[in-house]
Amino acid sequence: MILQIDQVVKQFGGIAAVNGVSFKVGKQEIVGIIGPNGAGKTTLFNLISGALPVTSGSIRFKGEEITNQKAHLICQKGIGRTFQVVKPFGNISVLENVKIGAFNRIQKSREATEYAEYVLEKVALIHRRDSVAKSLTIADKKRLEVAKALATQPELLLLDEVMAGLNPGEIHEIIPLIGSLAKDGLTLVIIEHIMEVIMQLSQRIVVIHHGEKIAEGSPTEVTSNPKVIEAYLGEAVSFA
Amino acid sequence: MKRAVTKSTLLWLLVLLIALLIPVVVENKFYMHTLILILFYAAVSGSWNILAGYAGQLSLGHAIFFGLGAYTSTLLFMNGGVSPWIGMCAALALCMLVGACIGYPCFRLKGPFFTLATLAFSEVIRLVASFWKELTNGAVGLNIPFQAGFSNLMFRGKEPYYYIALGVLCLVIAVTYWIDRSKMGAYLIAIRENEEAADALGIPITRYKLYAVLISSGLAGITGVFYAQYILFIEPEAMFNVNFSVQVALISIIGGMGTVAGPVLGAVLMIPLNELLRSAFSGLNGLNFFLYGIVLILVVSFIPNGILPTLRGWLSKKRANRHSQLTQAIPGTQKGGGQVDSAN
Repeated sequence: MILQIDQVVKQFGGIAAVNGVSFKVGKQEIVGIIGPNGAGKTTLFNLISGALPVTSGSIRFKGEEITNQKAHLICQKGIGRTFQVVKPFGNISVLENVKIGAFNRIQKSREATEYAEYVLEKVALIHRRDSVAKSLTIADKKRLEVAKALATQPELLLLDEVMAGLNPGEIHEIIPLIGSLAKDGLTLVIIEHIMEVIMQLSQRIVVIHHGEKIAEGSPTEVTSNPKVIEAYLGEAVSFA
Repeated sequence: MKRAVTKSTLLWLLVLLIALLIPVVVENKFYMHTLILILFYAAVSGSWNILAGYAGQLSLGHAIFFGLGAYTSTLLFMNGGVSPWIGMCAALALCMLVGACIGYPCFRLKGPFFTLATLAFSEVIRLVASFWKELTNGAVGLNIPFQAGFSNLMFRGKEPYYYIALGVLCLVIAVTYWIDRSKMGAYLIAIRENEEAADALGIPITRYKLYAVLISSGLAGITGVFYAQYILFIEPEAMFNVNFSVQVALISIIGGMGTVAGPVLGAVLMIPLNELLRSAFSGLNGLNFFLYGIVLILVVSFIPNGILPTLRGWLSKKRANRHSQLTQAIPGTQKGGGQVDSAN
């Protein structure tokens, strides 16, 4: 088990955004997290990556307790993440953006540049290497998010809606990229709204609703689960 | 890539050579004084640039370190007969300590709130220096007794001061250049651009901000030591002046924040302008500030990134245009670098 989440709770004031969620992720697995808007998916990512402290519960990475550790330490241990709302370093070039991520494992500037170029080739963004990051299209900014996180050389990558806001053509371009990451030995946890994508990519799906896990299983198991259907479509109405 | 590095190194060497030869040509004392001021202002602004331009922590309190450096070496020299060269080490240590003490709590504050906090600290230190008469001689200031000699860092002519100021500036440029090329610079820029994203990429934010403030305050302090030995008179109103902090910031803002050469360019343009305006409108007190202000408004509204980055952007655009014209004219010449064009 690379990631173990045990009874994690996060409360904002009186509201429990994440309420006792537990699941495990095995090495080189692709796990999808789905749920309606406001279900607590991104909050869960923020807890795992250390951007927010948990109220209670524990998170373990490769058997080591990482609950409430600082975000930069968690990244150094090998968990990379992307942000749903992209956060490029806007005023510097694409290459420099990725290079900053590469410095997580590499000390020398030249080697970091080489690694950044390697990552940019992988995510098919090398042709924009000298562009200023803020001038990229949204699809390219999402690729840049993935590239930055990849450059830190993580073992576990948390992808937060990397397809949201992309058109179908762009989505079909990015799916093989994510598939290839898994082939390289990365473990992936993916939040995604687009069902088609998550069904294609993930081996296992965790469904969250109102901060609680309501279902877990293979894509087909999950989609036929009545609780999941209820969460997405509302309760069945019987007409008298 | 490699050729670009040597090109910029050549340019730096050329500028250094010209700077070294200037005192041979210039004999006018007023011009020499202006040149020395340019070097000192470029050095302080360069130190400010490390904290503000690279790490994005806009300080309006750099007079603190400049003044503290000047006072430390001067008090040690006047009360204990300690050579300013040794006083410089004490000033360096004290400025870094004060920088860390101010920086550490203030780094929690974001944007304008950090700036206001540095401004407040600067005023507090000015008042302490004004009222702690036993130590600083208060608002009357300190007159450093003139005893020429290398160990006292005092000289009869202006040339030695010029070369010392040039040396200090070279130190600041060398440190900035090293930061610019290393992991440190990349991390500081990441912090400036987006702290949350920097955190997620494994950057220990507070530690790197501390590095920046330590280097920045130390360099500003060293510059203060040499400035005091040049002026030979220091007072709280002049050394801990908010206007000075603002001017130091403006030099970098106009030249180009977050670049190695920006503060130098800013000082070369703004200090002579300031001196010129002051001597041209000596009858109308304050008109020089008025014109200075107009220049500032023009720069900020038309080239908000500063002169150097705008110039660079303009040059690279021109180069790209020429490149595309060439490749259009001769279709068979796309090699290596032409990949981008063919992909589009």
